[in-house]
Amino acid sequence: MTPSAPTPPLAPDPPGSDSGPGVLIEVHNVTRHFEAGRVRALDGVTFMLREREFVAVIGPSGSGKTTLLQMLGALDAPTSGDISFHGQSVQAIRDLSAFRARTIGFIFQSFHLLPTLTALENVQIPMFEMPWKAPERRRRAAELLQAVGLGGRLDHRPAQLSGGERQRVAVARSLANEPRLLLADEPTGNLDSASARCILDLLGAIHQQHGTSLVVVTHNPEVAACADRTLRMLDGRVVSDTLNQGGRT
Amino acid sequence: MRFSTLVCKNLLRRPTRSLLTMTGIAVGIAAVVALSGIAWGFQKSWEQAYTARGTDMIVTKVTSRDPLPSPFGESIKDDLRQLPHVQGVSGLLSDMVSIEDAPSVLVFGWERNGFLWAHLKLVQGRWPADDQEKTVVVGTLAIEMLRKSIGDTLHIENDDFTICGTFNSGALVENGTVIMTLRQMQRVMDDEGKVNFLNLKLTPGTTDRETEALRQTIKTRFPGYNAFTGGEVAQNNTAIQAAKAMSWATSFIALVVGAVGVANTMLMSVFERIHEIGILLAIGWKRSRIVRLIIYESMALSLVGGLVGIVLGDVAVRLLLVTPWIRGKIQGEVNLPLLGLALLIALGLGVLGGLYPAYRGSRLHPSEALRYE
Repeated sequence: MTPSAPTPPLAPDPPGSDSGPGVLIEVHNVTRHFEAGRVRALDGVTFMLREREFVAVIGPSGSGKTTLLQMLGALDAPTSGDISFHGQSVQAIRDLSAFRARTIGFIFQSFHLLPTLTALENVQIPMFEMPWKAPERRRRAAELLQAVGLGGRLDHRPAQLSGGERQRVAVARSLANEPRLLLADEPTGNLDSASARCILDLLGAIHQQHGTSLVVVTHNPEVAACADRTLRMLDGRVVSDTLNQGGRT
Repeated sequence: MRFSTLVCKNLLRRPTRSLLTMTGIAVGIAAVVALSGIAWGFQKSWEQAYTARGTDMIVTKVTSRDPLPSPFGESIKDDLRQLPHVQGVSGLLSDMVSIEDAPSVLVFGWERNGFLWAHLKLVQGRWPADDQEKTVVVGTLAIEMLRKSIGDTLHIENDDFTICGTFNSGALVENGTVIMTLRQMQRVMDDEGKVNFLNLKLTPGTTDRETEALRQTIKTRFPGYNAFTGGEVAQNNTAIQAAKAMSWATSFIALVVGAVGVANTMLMSVFERIHEIGILLAIGWKRSRIVRLIIYESMALSLVGGLVGIVLGDVAVRLLLVTPWIRGKIQGEVNLPLLGLALLIALGLGVLGGLYPAYRGSRLHPSEALRYE
């Protein structure tokens, strides 16, 4: 295997690698204002995310959850404050695209799959930013889809898949480049309860087996209950930060 | 999946729009190929006229770039013959003359014993017997145009000439001409002892360097005269230049229309895909990759359109050349360099048409583009 070759999807960490979680992300007094400061989507948010941690972000609509997720994913920049990743300020990263491609995996409420591409092709899209050849991309995408239970749906386009299946394709796509951090925005929001349960189990398996850190914005108490920690947001602030029973931290 | 698969899938998403854009490009490129093919053919037929005559170099008086330079005394002929590598010199006098109902026919006077006659094929009749005989031979195209036959009289300037034969030349342009002996031409044009071209045949095996040295010698030793190869004379011919300029001007308009079509299609395609571009940016695609995606799509449209245009242009030239009222009058020259140029132009149009849409697409902010529905 070449140094850049991907490891098998959802493979457990090697023995002895669990030497205790370090800090992955530090969010320090972050604000995000829109419309010349009239709208304060985030208003002095401070918290820390450890490696291998599963954090749920809950709160009413408009409380700043999605904005926070976009900040963590380097899709948007804070008006003030700082976000650091492994001690390095994200604002100081010159190539944010490469950072997103190699470090972050996104799962969206509306799946955001490309409609003209098959499941197999959709999963390969993020891999264009990695030094992998086409056959390697194809093999890895097939393995990922197999791992999320869609081995028989490789050549189906999004319109030919159910909501739950589309979200599973999106989960497979988010894992394409072996990210350190998965960010999921209402991943079960558009799904029936059975599909939601399936996605939740899948995220739990990824977190448990692969040790990927996970931040999930959700309204679903069942999702939040699975997390190690819950951040509750209101009016752009983190109003509570609680460890869940049986949490890792 | 390869990057090219994505490019193709995006283009096939709106097949009718892609097809119409490609058609626009194809028409533009077909215009370039057809018009340039005919203009190049025109030049080629002049070049062939010199080649067929066995002329390696033409000496003429330095005047304007008029296709027919002013006559000059043929006395330098003997001096030219003494120069190294010169095997033969043959003078000619030519002019555009109104013959009966035809407004302008190219009439040549050739030295009766010169080497120029050798390449003509006699179709009917005979050649002029001597310098005193008031006869002409007429090209196969000219005899058709003048509605004459052998034995008829042609009224040229203020004199009557009998058509003694018809000929066919390897060079298309000569088939539309009337040829008499140089002496008769000088007499009828009142240009006794004058020619306006001296055709030089060089010894076989003369190198390009020796030809160039000979040209310099002629310029130095005979001030006021210049020496050209047949190709150069054809290239500098104002009529040919005008034909080429017109073909390019017409092609340019067709190409601008094609480029605007591509730009419009790609811009619409970008606006339709703002949300998708947001997804690609969110999952880590570099802006340069977005630019490449859009430019490649634009280039693919233009490339396919260009290839179709090349075929259409070639077919158009072939059809024109066999059309009854055009056949034999013009020559088409659709060669590899022209096809290569047309393909390059098509690709250039693709890049040009895709630049602004690619710029717009790459400047999108990922979080804003994701919100766009």
